[in-house]
Amino acid sequence: MDRELLIEIGCEEIPASWLPGLTAQLAAHLDARLAAARLTSDRPAESYSTPRRLTARVAKLAERQADHEELVTGPPVSAAFKPDGAPTPAAEGFAKKYGVEVSALERTNTPKGTYLAYRVRQRGKATVDVLADVMGGLLRDLTFPKQMRWDAYLEDGKGDLVFARPIRWLILLYGGRVVPFVIRRTELAQGPLVQDVRSGPNTYGHRFLTTSGRAGRAIKVKTFDDYESRLLENFVILNRSERESKIRRELETHARKLGGRVSPSTSLRAGPSTSLRAGGVIAEQALLLQEVPDLVEYPSVVAGHFPVEFLRLPEEVLTTTMIHHQHYFPVVDDEGNLKPAFLAVTNTQGEKPEVIARNSERVLTARLRDARFFWDEDRKATLESRIERLSTILFHKKLGSYREKAERVAALAAWIAREAFHKPDAAADAERAGRLSKADLATDMVRELTELQGTMGGIYAREEGQPETVWKAIYHHYLPIGVEAHAPPSRQQLGAAAVTWAAVSLADKLDSVAGMFAAGERPTGSRDPLGLRRQAQGAVKILADLPELTGVTARIELWSLVAQAAKPWDLSAEPQQAARTFIRERVLYLFEQRGFDARNIRAAVPPSLDRVDMVEARKKLEALAQMSGSEALRGVATLFKRVKNITKDVPAQAAVASGALKASLKEPAEMTLLSELESRAPGIRRASERGEYREAFAAIAALQPAVATFFDDVLVMADDEKLRTARLALVATLRDLILDIADISEIVTEA
Amino acid sequence: MTLQDLILKLSAFWASHGCLLQQPLDLEVGAGTSHPETLFRVLGPKPWSVAYVQPSRRPDDGRFGQNPNRVFKHHQYQVILKPSPDEVQQLYLESLEACGINPRQHDIRFEEDNWESPTLGAWGIGWQVLLDGMEITQFTYFQQVGGIDLAPISCEITYGLERIAMFLQRVDNIFDLEWGGGVTYGEVRLQEEIEQSKYAFGQVDMPAEEFAALHRELFDKYYGFAGTLLASGLIWPALEHCLKCSHLFNILDSSGSIGVTERTAYILRVRQLAVKIAHAYVEATVPAAVSEG
Repeated sequence: MDRELLIEIGCEEIPASWLPGLTAQLAAHLDARLAAARLTSDRPAESYSTPRRLTARVAKLAERQADHEELVTGPPVSAAFKPDGAPTPAAEGFAKKYGVEVSALERTNTPKGTYLAYRVRQRGKATVDVLADVMGGLLRDLTFPKQMRWDAYLEDGKGDLVFARPIRWLILLYGGRVVPFVIRRTELAQGPLVQDVRSGPNTYGHRFLTTSGRAGRAIKVKTFDDYESRLLENFVILNRSERESKIRRELETHARKLGGRVSPSTSLRAGPSTSLRAGGVIAEQALLLQEVPDLVEYPSVVAGHFPVEFLRLPEEVLTTTMIHHQHYFPVVDDEGNLKPAFLAVTNTQGEKPEVIARNSERVLTARLRDARFFWDEDRKATLESRIERLSTILFHKKLGSYREKAERVAALAAWIAREAFHKPDAAADAERAGRLSKADLATDMVRELTELQGTMGGIYAREEGQPETVWKAIYHHYLPIGVEAHAPPSRQQLGAAAVTWAAVSLADKLDSVAGMFAAGERPTGSRDPLGLRRQAQGAVKILADLPELTGVTARIELWSLVAQAAKPWDLSAEPQQAARTFIRERVLYLFEQRGFDARNIRAAVPPSLDRVDMVEARKKLEALAQMSGSEALRGVATLFKRVKNITKDVPAQAAVASGALKASLKEPAEMTLLSELESRAPGIRRASERGEYREAFAAIAALQPAVATFFDDVLVMADDEKLRTARLALVATLRDLILDIADISEIVTEA
Repeated sequence: MTLQDLILKLSAFWASHGCLLQQPLDLEVGAGTSHPETLFRVLGPKPWSVAYVQPSRRPDDGRFGQNPNRVFKHHQYQVILKPSPDEVQQLYLESLEACGINPRQHDIRFEEDNWESPTLGAWGIGWQVLLDGMEITQFTYFQQVGGIDLAPISCEITYGLERIAMFLQRVDNIFDLEWGGGVTYGEVRLQEEIEQSKYAFGQVDMPAEEFAALHRELFDKYYGFAGTLLASGLIWPALEHCLKCSHLFNILDSSGSIGVTERTAYILRVRQLAVKIAHAYVEATVPAAVSEG
């Protein structure tokens, strides 16, 4: 009979940001462990978490392991018997290992020959007898961003059991009965106050709240339903989405009572805001809403106010203080303006919510008072005067201080505006914004609210009267980061600063990437401590959307920018190659994230970064996506691999074959291809130059009948050398025409 | 509850749970962790439970007595439990109740906050404890000190005494706290705060270069002598001189006397000394100790 498996790992408070990942890991690892133990269940494991517990349940798990049969291969027969037919020591050893006579062994034929073999038959064990191993494996499987030792080990011979936080209790129930399992404590720690953790039937409710008896007492459970409802009685909402919806409901109710609103979705519906950070605040609130359900077991919301005088602080300072430092939700009125109020999600059903509210108000007010002090003090000195101080703040030990970084960013930003964007008028402001871009790192406000780097510099620049082209470039220069999480500012938010922003933002990111590669710092696997992937991702993203973001339409070769950024370091061949590979991967990733077909991406992004222009690559991908139904284009693409192969020793052709070569061609199919090429090539090139890739690909597709007939009817590798050369030249002309736009042979490869 | 009552309550609570009541380290340090009652006792296998107040200097936090929340010197109540008992969080919550904080009437949370001291080669895993949104305690399971893996693991509970007292007394300015018997924190400490802040930021009748040179020289002398003490097998005095270096470095930093490359070099020097001292302590106190790292 199938029975229910219930596991609860009772923990001290696990970091909120880890819980979603751990919950997923728990179910996946449990399923894998059960499968490996040959225990079948009707459906995959369910998993749940709160800050103090990781819970998994399998509703119906088989009572026994499946029987196991396996043929174990021994020595080859050729080495198993002596000439007289007696078994060799190898054969005897193998038989002995399984406790049988050599005569009892089977023979099995393999591609490598005939081998002795033994058929292992194992009757499945009772599930209760294997669950302890499953549990031990499961505890070992879980991985954490940072793990701790807590004087615990398992009796599996693998030593210390590291975990997220100390485990305080463990439920391991199968069919309502406890399966014995123990986490041992080391000899050095063990004593009256430090004990082994033994599996049991008991869970624990909320730390402070309970409907009856004393909070913190053991609650005995038998089934998952029982467990979930007993937890609820004891103020633990096991299901994360239920916690989240309780939070949402209460936030909305309280916000309405305050005459405002908080929900990010409501703000979004309000339409484009003129607020500089509207998008940012919404994103941050959404992130906060993602985090709070993992900080609490029984959420409820309290509302508080702060003195209205603090509303004269920049909105960014207020929201950052509330959201990042206190985990409070700001409240806005119908116009999107902040109200002097906030909502706090608490982990309690307080006897006195008003007391919690008053205390929270005092904490927030104290922080805001600090912020006001910084705001008043910081504005007594200009950003320019802070550059000196930047020389005491280290950017990277091999790359110098932030002062040096700011100087590089300034020079690079000016170069980008002038040389890459062809906007010489913007160069001076880009340079100034670049020079001041890091100055806020030396302000008290940013030292305290580090999340506001850039933003604060922009605000201070605005306050001291820098033009919009400068202050907004500073304000937004850290954006975008990564692929979609922190989107670039909108054209509307950038106003006059679009070009200077793009120049400074690119300069900052490319300087970091090029510099770090020069310094030998590279992301490996999941490790990217300096966030270079996100930096590079941000840079290629700006470039891919440059016309829409800034109105700049100049064609820009990606590597030319990186090469310019790398100039201060003289990147040698090896790091240069590594940087090229790294950036190309970011390009491919960006396009994949945008949903383009991987084959099309390979076609549109040439292997060499010198030839990658992000905007053109993007347009080619958009055109290829529109052309995906074109059988003719696929037809040309299919033949294109042959085109490339056959001409791989033929150099690039300057123009369609010379008159002399042309004169050698005589077959109708080759004459047709020649005339098709001659008539269509100029149009294809013009379309490509204008960036009208759909038109270009359509014209290439129109070559399909001529190309197909050519390869059907004509033998390119003719015996006559002159004829062969002429035909190869013809094919190479076709090759160069198409390759100049995209390697379309890729679009028909197996994905 | 006055500040001194709070100290008495915490002391009574932790004494009743087996802690020795120690006295503050009579040296200038930034936190209770620097006290040998923590730094040394958490090394090696010997169980040790201790509680003490530690006046803690953070030159960079000096605000000339003008900021209601931030001061050059504050007071920590430091508890070390080795090994860390299973019920340590519950014990901690009971200690708050002993101070008059009823957990059922407040929102008390343990939020991830790990601790690391680059100068001591030490780190741990833990939380900041929030009381209605205010950080009142740092709670850390030490993992390494002086680059040495710890076994058993010690738990460090560091209460911010002024914070908790401000909460209990409902005052918004630290200088309005009642220290005891009707005397305010301001009466006890304001003048000291003003003068210490001036010193920390180099506002001394002495050219800045001389100020910097003097402190560098002091650093070098103490540093050199700490090495001599260590070589003489005098580990406790060596630690004290190492801590003096650490404080001098903080003053050099807050007064803007050192540049960026130098700053890193100073941190590294203190760390190397602290690591050597920690190893020497383990070798001297743990029979047949095998030094690690």
